[in-house]
Amino acid sequence: MSVTLTEKDLRKQEIAIARKYADRLPWEAVVWGLGNLLVWLSLWPLVFLGFVPLWLGFIIATLNVMLCYLPSHEAQHDIIGRKGTKWRWLNELVGHVSTIPLVLPYRVAKLTHIQHHLHANNPELDPDFSSMAKGPWHAIWKSIQNRQPGAEGGFNKYGDVLQDIGRPDALIDGALFQITHFGILIALAWSGYALEAALLWWLPRQIGLTYIQFFLSWAPHHPADKTGRYKDTRAFKSAWGNIGSMGMQYHIVHHLHPYIPLTDTPRAYREMRYILEQRDCRLEGI
Amino acid sequence: MQFVLKNIIHFMPLIFGVGFLGPLLGQIISMLNWQAPLGLAPLTLGLIIGGAWGAFAQYKGRWI
Repeated sequence: MSVTLTEKDLRKQEIAIARKYADRLPWEAVVWGLGNLLVWLSLWPLVFLGFVPLWLGFIIATLNVMLCYLPSHEAQHDIIGRKGTKWRWLNELVGHVSTIPLVLPYRVAKLTHIQHHLHANNPELDPDFSSMAKGPWHAIWKSIQNRQPGAEGGFNKYGDVLQDIGRPDALIDGALFQITHFGILIALAWSGYALEAALLWWLPRQIGLTYIQFFLSWAPHHPADKTGRYKDTRAFKSAWGNIGSMGMQYHIVHHLHPYIPLTDTPRAYREMRYILEQRDCRLEGI
Repeated sequence: MQFVLKNIIHFMPLIFGVGFLGPLLGQIISMLNWQAPLGLAPLTLGLIIGGAWGAFAQYKGRWI
């Protein structure tokens, strides 16, 4: 027999569940972020000195780029260490360095991501709205289109958002990251290592960005036609499983309670599912 | 500083085409032992293709 709870009870029980997962230092995110970066950095000498073949380096580098965003995402939400706490330095370290392979500065990522949470699915204000697409293949195509130099979406939209929120200073970070990235690629190319630069950084970054935008931006918000706390994100069953989709099946929990560590969202979701059902959230096959 | 950064970013497609795609294509042509037309060196052919592609991206605002 199902019992319909009042709005007040729903809210109270939802928060009680969410709070159980707050205030835990997610060491797995720290190890993941810093370890992943170290693996990617070590690929360069290992490939250049012939200890690792380039084809294998390419596969590992692609995985590194695909994996590098989420630890920084934990830091963007201050999950590793809030301001004024003893692990704040670690939070900022993971936030700043883990997305180096992706060439995404921490301040840009954090400022725009907060806007995404505030305005999810709003065509004008959500920096990630340009990921919206009719289906999976269209989402991949949109991701590629948004990366073109004259695109209105993607990282170009991030620039507009930073201007709109009065933080054009963060644009400098973006410009310096881009120039350094291309400067390193060009220097390597003219030193006779163009193929290595392409397969350890440039192409893995293109593949990684497509993957990240597909699973972290398009899939959990699709069809991105509704706004509001319980409507702008969905739970969904991915053919790639929870690990293959990097935990995004339970992204709805993250949007409701962004302080919960990523690896705890499946458990929190299972506990609060009955509440989300009563809230008429989109829970698709999971 | 901002003026310099803005201009570098603005001309990045052209810089990337000549600076990175050119030598990359040259290296691929050499590796595959392709004969460039008109007796061109692989790097020269790479720079022509990379430069033209970069110029296209610069003008059109898209690589593809």
